[in-house]
Amino acid sequence: MQEFLPQLPPVISHAALFGALVVLGLLAGEAARRYLSLPRITGYVVAGAILGPQALGLLDDNMLFDLRLLIDLSVGLIVFELGFRLDFKWLRANRWLLVTAIAESLFCFWAIFAALVFFEFRPMLAAMAAAIGTATSPAVVMLVVHELRAQGQITERLLLFTAVNTVFAYVLLTLLLPFLHLEHEAGWEQALFHPLYLLWGSIVAGYLACMLMLRLAAWLGKSEERQFILLVGMVVVTVGAAHALKLSVSLTLITFGMLARNLDKGYAVLPVHFGHGSQLFFVILFVLVGASLEFSAFSAAAAAMVAVYIVVRFLGKSAALLAFGAPSGIRSGGAGLLSIALVPLSGSAVVMVRDTTTLYPEFGRELAAVVLSAVVILELIGPIATQFALRRAGEAHPDG
Amino acid sequence: MDEMNFTASAALSLGVELELQLVRPHDFDLARDASDLLARLDKRKLPGAVKPEITESMIELNSSVHTDCAKLLEELETLRGAVVQDAGVLNIRVSGGGSHPFHDWADRRIFPNERFRFVVERYGYLAKQFTVFGQHIHVGCPSGDEAVFLTHMLTRYVPHFIALSAASPYYQGEDTSFQSSRLTAVAAFPLAGHIPFVTDWAAFIEFFTRMKDFGIVASMKDFYWDIRPKPEYGTVEIRVCDTPLTVRRAALLAAYAQSLAAYHFAERPLQPSRDIYLVNSYNRFEACRYGFGGDMVDPHESRKKKIGDDVLDSLQRVAPYAARLGCGELLEELAAGVRVAESDANWLRGRQSAYGSLADVVREACSRWEKGKRE
Repeated sequence: MQEFLPQLPPVISHAALFGALVVLGLLAGEAARRYLSLPRITGYVVAGAILGPQALGLLDDNMLFDLRLLIDLSVGLIVFELGFRLDFKWLRANRWLLVTAIAESLFCFWAIFAALVFFEFRPMLAAMAAAIGTATSPAVVMLVVHELRAQGQITERLLLFTAVNTVFAYVLLTLLLPFLHLEHEAGWEQALFHPLYLLWGSIVAGYLACMLMLRLAAWLGKSEERQFILLVGMVVVTVGAAHALKLSVSLTLITFGMLARNLDKGYAVLPVHFGHGSQLFFVILFVLVGASLEFSAFSAAAAAMVAVYIVVRFLGKSAALLAFGAPSGIRSGGAGLLSIALVPLSGSAVVMVRDTTTLYPEFGRELAAVVLSAVVILELIGPIATQFALRRAGEAHPDG
Repeated sequence: MDEMNFTASAALSLGVELELQLVRPHDFDLARDASDLLARLDKRKLPGAVKPEITESMIELNSSVHTDCAKLLEELETLRGAVVQDAGVLNIRVSGGGSHPFHDWADRRIFPNERFRFVVERYGYLAKQFTVFGQHIHVGCPSGDEAVFLTHMLTRYVPHFIALSAASPYYQGEDTSFQSSRLTAVAAFPLAGHIPFVTDWAAFIEFFTRMKDFGIVASMKDFYWDIRPKPEYGTVEIRVCDTPLTVRRAALLAAYAQSLAAYHFAERPLQPSRDIYLVNSYNRFEACRYGFGGDMVDPHESRKKKIGDDVLDSLQRVAPYAARLGCGELLEELAAGVRVAESDANWLRGRQSAYGSLADVVREACSRWEKGKRE
């Protein structure tokens, strides 16, 4: 055998894998849209599921683990962009909006929690599942909004509530950690310091990244190209740092985004659209999410519980919107559409569950049965629901 | 032809329409929330009216009829405050100015009503490019003949109104080098231009009837003239102004129009002449391009003059009428600005050089509009 020839079979590098996943996802997304008029995300997810360990197995668990950083990177970019759109001034000008946003998270959490406890889940488990269920998927929402070029009141509120319930869910999950630790008889030091470290660590990291970026942006000046590179670079560095420091990537990056918008008193940062660049990350993210879906979690026994989880979650969200929507300035009929648009469940629920699983495998598995099955269903229904709601609200671009 | 019956109105009564930009705060591009904003404003009791415009990124403030400019200003201030407050609830910002500096016209969405759908059907992309923002000033006339007379007289002052209101130096992301780029968007329409040279209302009706019989127009609305008689209101409508960056300046412009009309009705210093239409497009271009620094030709004096100087001379000429109408101080304020070549276009360029991006320019313009009286 000549030395210049590759080994057989050739070793597939991550670069080749990454590229192949992007292309396959892209084709599947386009097919979903063209032949079934479904959102492209649905195509990406299905492509991932088919390639994943539970079907063809071209993507195995080891590869998924290796690509974990890529998921974090995509999620990081998306939640940063989401945070960057969140203007605290709006919440100050419209107090009812703040009330609605908080009620949306609270009602949803309590509704799921109460239902699960009613069906005799342990309170600890119910609380974790409810916290995870509170969050709407930033990635799905942002991608559908991008794809439809949606604009308007329902779209803005959808993004705002998604940002708020994402923060709410992460903070709540972190606050639940000590109870989980204590339930598993860990030391009080761990029970106390782990959540403190996660919460404050993520917020401080987001704050530091923000201050550094504002300085650098001011020095670079108002050039869209340079600022775009700075922004992407800073997001990637921050994701890497959060990863290395075992902080929450989502919480760090959403803090980073929100502060970058709201602390920029000197107007150093230009409004930047990630545009086509972010589409690339969207594709890879959803292919990987599809590949990580746990179809095996399904069982007839779980099915009823999963249905309850999904329905109660929806009812909790819509109750808050119907109660407080009108005073916060939603047009009539808008509250219902907004509840539908908020349906997508965060794919990073998978990540959260995984994190718990590594800490306490037994507990994680119990949680997984309900939450991961709900994720499977909502990854497929969610984007369709959001697309339907935004189209119905008349906020999708006519060509979108 | 009932629509062409000239509804007599009190001479020198005054009304103003202001087209405003709705801006989304996260990137300072145009928003598309006109319907939601109008629905909210509908529930309020407001003087005048707030109406939709061709795209969902604009609304129009209409004052009621006034004779006193101070009252007009007060009313515009009330409308402004109401719009800004309701817009805040919906996270929309509001701004004056003749053009949005960097919006992409292809992104505009047409306000859903029949007239606007017709305009889009008819004019295609021109309709979306027409997302520019103007101030219209109505001056009341006692008869159609007087309206025709005043239309011809005011044509001489078209460059004045352009230079005084100029607030659209940026278009589609670029500095156009013009003080007012907005009028270029209007000029693309086939029925843009000016009134034909007729000398009384009967002749005007004859012209209108012929155009209607040709099937070129259906109503007066189809003429996109710089100045046109508006028989249903009994007014002459000046349409060349960019929406200024403040309601105060809008009221100053209205005061100037009113004083000019008073002067021409009272003294009749000139008779309508075809010559004004020989120099009109030259004057108009100079005003759009250079503002006060441009040249204009007065056909009656047959020589060139700086537009700024001509405005100052004219303000002096009408000063006694302004004093009688109670708007002397307003015109003095206007003159003081002209002396130092102050214009909204220059202000916008100043913001651009201070902050370095057009998004900053939009933000600053919004803040200026939203601040209102406190300025």
